[in-house]
Amino acid sequence: MSPLPGFPGSGLAKGLAVTLRTMTKKSVTAQYPDTQPALAPRTRGVIGLFEENCTVCMLCARECPDWCIYIDSHKETVPAAAPGGRDRSRNVLDRFAIDFSLCMYCGICIEVCPFDALFWSPEFEYAETDIRELTHERDKLREWMWTVPAPPALDPAAEEPKELAAARKTADKLAAQAAARPDPHPGPQADPKGEDS
Amino acid sequence: MNDVLDVALRLLIVFVVFLTLPLIVGQTEHKVMAHMQGRLGPMYAGGFHGWAQLVADGVKFAQKEDVVPAGADRRVFQLAPAVALLPYLLVLLALPIGPGEGAVGQVLDAGVFFVLAVMGVGVLGSLMAGWASANKFSLLGGLRTAAQLLAYELPMLLAAASVAMAAGTVSLVGILDAFEWWWLPWQIVGAIVFFVAGLAELQRPPFDMPVADSEIIFGAYTEYTGLRFALFLLAEYAGIVVLCGLTTVLFLGGWHGPWGADGLGWVWTLLKTAVLAFVVIWLRVTHPRLREDQLQKLSWTLLVPLALAQIALTGVVKVVIS
Amino acid sequence: MTLAAAAGTVAHATTTTVTTAAEARGFLSPTGVEIAFLLVGLVTFGAAVVTVTTRQLVHAALWLVVALGGLAVEYLLLTAEFIAWVQVLIYVGSVVVLLLFGLMLTRAPIGRSPDADSGNRRVALAVAVAAAVALVWVVVDAFRTTWIDLDGAPAGSTDVTGAGLFQHWVLPFEALSVLLLAALVGAIVLSRRANTAAAAREAEPREAEPRETGAGATSKTPHGSPAEPAPEPAPGPGRAPAARRRDAEGNR
Repeated sequence: MSPLPGFPGSGLAKGLAVTLRTMTKKSVTAQYPDTQPALAPRTRGVIGLFEENCTVCMLCARECPDWCIYIDSHKETVPAAAPGGRDRSRNVLDRFAIDFSLCMYCGICIEVCPFDALFWSPEFEYAETDIRELTHERDKLREWMWTVPAPPALDPAAEEPKELAAARKTADKLAAQAAARPDPHPGPQADPKGEDS
Repeated sequence: MNDVLDVALRLLIVFVVFLTLPLIVGQTEHKVMAHMQGRLGPMYAGGFHGWAQLVADGVKFAQKEDVVPAGADRRVFQLAPAVALLPYLLVLLALPIGPGEGAVGQVLDAGVFFVLAVMGVGVLGSLMAGWASANKFSLLGGLRTAAQLLAYELPMLLAAASVAMAAGTVSLVGILDAFEWWWLPWQIVGAIVFFVAGLAELQRPPFDMPVADSEIIFGAYTEYTGLRFALFLLAEYAGIVVLCGLTTVLFLGGWHGPWGADGLGWVWTLLKTAVLAFVVIWLRVTHPRLREDQLQKLSWTLLVPLALAQIALTGVVKVVIS
Repeated sequence: MTLAAAAGTVAHATTTTVTTAAEARGFLSPTGVEIAFLLVGLVTFGAAVVTVTTRQLVHAALWLVVALGGLAVEYLLLTAEFIAWVQVLIYVGSVVVLLLFGLMLTRAPIGRSPDADSGNRRVALAVAVAAAVALVWVVVDAFRTTWIDLDGAPAGSTDVTGAGLFQHWVLPFEALSVLLLAALVGAIVLSRRANTAAAAREAEPREAEPRETGAGATSKTPHGSPAEPAPEPAPGPGRAPAARRRDAEGNR
């Protein structure tokens, strides 16, 4: 490795050379408060709540390993939509809070949410001076929703997302029906793929 | 009256130098070490690249509570920082930075002996601190300090004796007056031995076994807080200044330089001292700590024989050229 | 011993270099240097007394520093600059550090040591007084009313001391060097022999150890036969030191 492997002290000199070279290079330290860090697209900064989607199914609270999600709700009766119909009951969210002093940012709540009410936000500057103030309520969580970035683009050769495929299939079907009604001849050329499945 | 004024002025200048140079070295260490590790170091205190970081540190130390452990030997514990710090102030008094009477605090007949003797006394402060703290880590640190001093005092003295032989005097000014450029290659082994042994005496990395923080917390200084702790730190950095200045004067020709001999001698001294201080920091960043047995082995089996060989070489050359 | 050496060196310096001024000097009009000399002497004496009377071991060592430092100051006042710095270098810088090292390595409690008091302190006092009287008498008899001329050329500078040591006193100097060298060699020889003896002594308990544990095992399990070989065979008496040495080398 070294030009003089047997020479005593060559190892010491090599070490000195390494540190000297490092000193002449530009340091990689980011001056954080002055310059914002470049965050990765899926940064796990904080959990935002899209409360319009929440149905108080409690899955997130139950799956949370730290038990850091607090949910209160009550039932509300919705009068029947059609005359003679039955009244429906519906869950109304009273409180949704996450204690970020307990949260370990595992993201299980976000994974299990069946209605896409929880999202990762890259926002990370929410330090508090009191640990109790780290329990953030639904209004704060809702505000963080605005900082959730659009999902990153798919890989070029990726499979089409299921919901998009389903939506397009329905749209195609509707279009085909619409096309079939005024025009007598059916269109097998319209979408053979859609007919297959 | 004029004499009194002169003495007072010299003392004042030495004192100011004593307070500023160690801080400059400390700040340089902050920055150089940071950049050698790919960091930036202090950036905020004082505005421009954190130049006032050590001032801020000093203010912080001054605000801290001065704690003396309940089981400690109170008087010795409190006296130790002064014993550690004052010798370096005295040494600085004897270091000539330029030619002539005006550039040295006090001309001493046996300058080399004075400087080495007083530097050795500084270690007593660490020993006192280690014993008086009533803490086993402190005691271990004190023991290691003593063992290290005993091992490295000898090569340091021998290397200095070599220069004294070459110059035919033990006065620091006399040595510099007799200096020729070819002493540099002649005394290079002695210079390295002296510098390494001095580093060990200052307990600077890679010879910081007595304060090895991963093993014995901070050695003899474990129990110290506030200003007394700051004094120990100041003693360490003053020690760097003194060691580098001494190596400059003894081995690197002090105020002698390729040009600018008239009036600019002190610049050469300061420049050489600064370069050596940089080397001290550089070594600290680069090399890992020596184990206790490696430490002793390095001194007794390498430095002492090298110093003796240097003395022999000096003697032979001296006889040949005279 | 310190005092003796110091007195001797001062004697060298003064007798060889100082032109003895026999003119009348009064004790009643002391100069500043003389007053300082006396005061420092008193401090030194006090520190020395505290050194031998204090019950705290480390404090004794630290007071010794004060006493030795005071002595160095006295040399300085007598213009023996070189001797003064050597005193600081050797005694304060090395001997006391060695002393403290030994104390801390063995036993250095904070506070009073109960066993710091020796039973034969009277004898010690008598010896000390006798030694002091002898030294003082020798010094007084040697110098009488010799005065060092402080205002003239420095009488104890490195130049003068070196010249005196290597011209007039070179034979005693060399004799002392040989004596010290002999002491050094003797110390090394003694420590080497003690080492091998200790190794041999340590090998014996090693040999005996398994037998003891074997006995313990038999007492615990009554059915075990006492003749059962120990799980780790004891190293033979001839092999033990070699093994130890190998261990030591491995550690190194």
